[in-house]
Amino acid sequence: MSTINQRPVSNTPIAYGLMSLSPTMGVINGMEVALEFEGALIEGNRKSILGVTDVSCFASFGIKGTEAASWLMSQSIQIPMNRNTWVEHEGYLVLRLGGSEFLIEGQYSEDQYSHEIFEKLARFNQATVAGVYKVQRADAAFILSGSEVLNMLSELCMLDLRDSALASNTLVMTQLASISAILLRHQLNGEQVYRVWCDGTYGAYMWNMLLEVARELGGGAVGLASHFRGTHK
Amino acid sequence: MKLLNCPMNGLRPLGEFIYGGEYREMPNPNNSSDLEWASYVHYRDNAPGVKKEWWFHSPSGTWFIAERNTLSDEVLNTYLFGKAPFPKNENLSDGKLGDEKNTELSA
Amino acid sequence: MSYQNKDNMRLAKKIGEWIDRDKVIKFSFEGEDYTGYEGDTITSALWANGVKVLGRSFKYHRARGVLSLANHDVNILVTDGVDTNIRADVVTLQSGMTLKVVNTEGGVVNDKKKIIDSISALLPVGFYYKAFHSPAVLFPFWEKFIRKAAGLGVVNFNYPRITQRKLNAYCDVLVIGAGPSGLSAALMAASNGLEVILVDENQQLGGSLVYDRAGGNAAKEMLDELSVKMAETPNIKVYTGSYAAGYYADHMVPIVTAKGITKVRAKTVIAATGAFEQPPVFRHNDLPGVMLGSAAQRLIYRYGVKPFNTCVVVTANAHGYRVALDLLNAGCTVVALVDMRAEADRDQYVGELARKGVKIYSSYCVYEALPSKSKLGVRGVTICPFDEKNGTSNTANSITLDCDGIAMSAGWAPAAALLYQSGMGVRFDNDIQQFVPNSLPNGIFAAGKVNGVYNIKQRGLDGMRAAAAALQYLGKSVETINVDHHQGASPSHFYPIVMHPKGKNFVDFDEDIAVKDFINAAQEGFDNIELMKRFTTVGMGPSQGKHSNMNAIRILAKIRNLPVEKIGTTTARPFFHPTPFGHLGGRSFHAHRLTTIHMWHKAANAVFVDVGAWSRPAYYQKSGLSRIETLQQEAIAVRQSVGIIDGGTLGKIEVCGPDAGLFLERFYTGKYIDQKVGTTRYALMLDESGVIVDDGIASRLAEQLFYLTVSTSNAAAVYREMQRWLQIWQLNVGLVNVTGAYGLINIAGPKSRDVLAKLVDIELSEANFPIGSALETQILGFSARIIRVGFVANLAYEIHMPSAQALNAWKALMQSGVKEGIRPFGTDTQRLLRLELGHHMPGYDTDGLTIPYEVGAEHALAMDKPFFVGQRSLQIIAKKPRNKILVSFVLPLDYSSEMPQDCNLVIDDGVIKGRVTSVSYSPAAKCVIGLAYVHPTQNQLGATFEIRTDNGSLAKATIVKTPFFNAE
Repeated sequence: MSTINQRPVSNTPIAYGLMSLSPTMGVINGMEVALEFEGALIEGNRKSILGVTDVSCFASFGIKGTEAASWLMSQSIQIPMNRNTWVEHEGYLVLRLGGSEFLIEGQYSEDQYSHEIFEKLARFNQATVAGVYKVQRADAAFILSGSEVLNMLSELCMLDLRDSALASNTLVMTQLASISAILLRHQLNGEQVYRVWCDGTYGAYMWNMLLEVARELGGGAVGLASHFRGTHK
Repeated sequence: MKLLNCPMNGLRPLGEFIYGGEYREMPNPNNSSDLEWASYVHYRDNAPGVKKEWWFHSPSGTWFIAERNTLSDEVLNTYLFGKAPFPKNENLSDGKLGDEKNTELSA
Repeated sequence: MSYQNKDNMRLAKKIGEWIDRDKVIKFSFEGEDYTGYEGDTITSALWANGVKVLGRSFKYHRARGVLSLANHDVNILVTDGVDTNIRADVVTLQSGMTLKVVNTEGGVVNDKKKIIDSISALLPVGFYYKAFHSPAVLFPFWEKFIRKAAGLGVVNFNYPRITQRKLNAYCDVLVIGAGPSGLSAALMAASNGLEVILVDENQQLGGSLVYDRAGGNAAKEMLDELSVKMAETPNIKVYTGSYAAGYYADHMVPIVTAKGITKVRAKTVIAATGAFEQPPVFRHNDLPGVMLGSAAQRLIYRYGVKPFNTCVVVTANAHGYRVALDLLNAGCTVVALVDMRAEADRDQYVGELARKGVKIYSSYCVYEALPSKSKLGVRGVTICPFDEKNGTSNTANSITLDCDGIAMSAGWAPAAALLYQSGMGVRFDNDIQQFVPNSLPNGIFAAGKVNGVYNIKQRGLDGMRAAAAALQYLGKSVETINVDHHQGASPSHFYPIVMHPKGKNFVDFDEDIAVKDFINAAQEGFDNIELMKRFTTVGMGPSQGKHSNMNAIRILAKIRNLPVEKIGTTTARPFFHPTPFGHLGGRSFHAHRLTTIHMWHKAANAVFVDVGAWSRPAYYQKSGLSRIETLQQEAIAVRQSVGIIDGGTLGKIEVCGPDAGLFLERFYTGKYIDQKVGTTRYALMLDESGVIVDDGIASRLAEQLFYLTVSTSNAAAVYREMQRWLQIWQLNVGLVNVTGAYGLINIAGPKSRDVLAKLVDIELSEANFPIGSALETQILGFSARIIRVGFVANLAYEIHMPSAQALNAWKALMQSGVKEGIRPFGTDTQRLLRLELGHHMPGYDTDGLTIPYEVGAEHALAMDKPFFVGQRSLQIIAKKPRNKILVSFVLPLDYSSEMPQDCNLVIDDGVIKGRVTSVSYSPAAKCVIGLAYVHPTQNQLGATFEIRTDNGSLAKATIVKTPFFNAE
């Protein structure tokens, strides 16, 4: 595991929810996260039924304002053209939250991981760009995988999230387990998963709720390594 | 649970919204009488009928106006403030009223 | 010894029966062992064993057996272990059930409380209201006895918390009821490509097609045909053994299953909910062995159980004839068919029954059922000529027939609860003697019996008609289907009520309400249906009037000499059947927020307190110290050296852009446009009426960047109001809520500068970084915003960092402050510390009416600005006299009487003048200090006022200046 520099390692926003599970921890992007809970066999099985993975360590950058879209384009970042949609491009996701706010998230795949983009974004100085404001992000971010995901979501969310109702490039800002969250469905290493983001201070709560339901449905906690085995250096 | 159409996010269950009270046209504070101002602040006629109401879609942070018949609880129309057949607020003389750049705010 | 007769009533296997005879289930009932089959309900298994006394009625403890077998046999409630009030008529038999009947004393057969039945004449309806309420002083005495008699079952206080999942589901068409109409509707909708959910409370599909066969095969063949089509149609999701519990706005219908609730959001709803069979009313119509015709049919065809050995069928419609044929088919001896109607001989089944040797008594009624000697069953009936027009019976010509049971069919009441809830308007159709839909809300359709369609072929067609209408509503182009209006005799009788001088002719079996109770109620003046319902309690029992409301309406109509439609109906509210709390509760979603430092607090023995959704340390428990002692020690550490508190819960908002200063000047009471970068200003927020909402600090970090901190509990609401005003004002401003994204640590006390200095590269001296300064720097290599604040101590710093780094910063500060004895403190201590400095807190020292003038906040009001929220109202309020003002007070140094509490009143000569808002012993001031509202005339430095403490004693308080102690 490598840290970016000498700065101290931070905790995932769900750290309090991990205390009783004692997973194998690792540091990614300067954040200590759970890499493995139970070993590949059990986690592989969970993942196929209902896996919950904490990916709060993914690099993320938020921006909003009337000129945010044009500034991002000027930085050669591909953005979704319609509100509440998203695009995936060379190792990062760009979510358009409403009309004029964006969340850009690096995907964990170090081979194609777009460091450059985030380095460029990190240099953003809102004092020099009119109508563009940085949105400091500290989301708890999750991957939900497996055959029972919709079963879980039908309890935690009132919206119809089936393929027929949630278009593939659409994101929804809704309530999940009674708190505000962003939700979308995408392909990860060839399998369909759902992604969830919520305020990091609700992270431990969200993690516990997701796990509670997942366990009832035959799934459970899945470490980051399970999803990125092979791509992980 | 009732459904409400957020102009930015579409049809959502009422649980995602916070009610923001009846929309009222603010009288010009500089030349309204004490009585007119007090009426604006405190008086609601509470008569059933079509009302303009503020509603807030909580997960996205979207304020909007809903025209609702409070007798039948039927929502006739929803739109962002200043984005629909709606009288502009022109009572405040200073500042940059009428600039619509910020109507698509989200959280 | 048992009085139950124990005949084997199980029939040979019936085609289509719901039981699996290969799977024998053992269970016990009232201490005796029995067997049944998988698929039996508790009641069907007991009846098959010849057990007919299944329960006791609520009020008179009369023996009861089967009535409907359709979830309104509410006298048959049983207990199995921790579960009570199990409805035996519909609950599926489980292996090992140990069943006891509720509401008995000494068992169902020998219930000692049956004595109440013999004195029932002394207990008319309204008896309790009248007998025990005067004199009022005696009511508590009587109440004990009434409470013991009231209610069913025993609450088990050790009942485990069993919650079920509450799910959401979606469909184009929700069809409620899987009888011929519902099945036809679902199939038609699905075959046109719609996504259909079909729900039925019974364990299997088919509705009356399963059991209403008139001794023939036509119904079964129709069901088979529909079942084949169902199996071939993939886009129908079927919920059996589940009920649609209610109708909610925008077509949401919760479906209650054994496993939980599924809230279905449908685009359209088709109610094919059918009708409840209604009993005719005659003396002893409640004895075990007297049951509805449809109940007898259900026993035969669903469970292969013979309802009676020898029976009489009493009817007032064609259905009774069908029942008689089914009974013959099951091997019962039908002694007679008694038809209350004058034109009975026109019925299509008369010839068939006559051929099979059943004697038909037309224009006759059952005058009374004759109880067996034990009063636990039927030994015969007395029938006599009946004039249906006048409802009179000619007892001079009565005949007595021997039998062990009676099947009753007098008519139907639509199962229209959900339609009523959706906003249906009704009319009364005299041709069928039934309320039918007159107007239905958009997207709601009715089909079948609930829609007044009884002919079996027409019912299927009516389902298709409703489906076509639903398809058209959804924009599909299909042809309209028409259904014929009802032809022939009415399926329901207009007045199937037989008077008897000795009463016991029951209308409502839940609450033992007989005809004379209605007459008494009307005489007492309760002659409106809603009043009558409440006085007699008709329809208020567990079955909610499903078998009683229609007869009650007819009786009231007769009493008042009005047509039935003028009487109207009562409201049927959700839930359709009683639903367990565990279903209603579902999973608990108590969202809570934690700062990233929470783990550290936990390890340091913090005692947590909920502040909104947040969990915050109130203080850090030290062994051997009380809460108060701990608070005082934490406060002393801040005053003498340095303390540290996690303020990550505070609201944090960035206000950016060219108009940021202008925006804040409109939103808050102060001035910000001319605020210098690197400084802070107080921010007081009012509502439009001039009342204080919140306060905080505005730090100008850059020309176009203000960083606002607002109080924890108001953070979300303040941000929301900012968003709203920004939309209205249309200023060039960006708002960013970073409450969760930034951590906040406050270190306070004389040594706080020394502790912080070790971690930052900036000069923190008083000259360089005085109170009211703010800047951005780095701590541990991460950006940090440092603000010099003075809320809890004169020397204190807020450190704002990305929340992922807050714990590291906290640990670094703790490490840095080891020598200085740095000590964490919680919110309880924080409240004491700010009180010592004399700071009031919105929401704590103010309420929903407090204006700035009442808390001495005039300094914060820039009344010369063009506009701020609340300004115009303040201009009006300023002209009016004040009636309270917040002052700082101390109690004498040697004060040792009752400690005043928050909210104790300020009393002057017996008159309330104000109240205490904050009070505490201050270790720094070494006396009791506080804030209180007093009358403005009392407000003079050094003046005294009196606080009435909890024990009534008066504490003399002196008004002083703040801070309360001599700061450094």
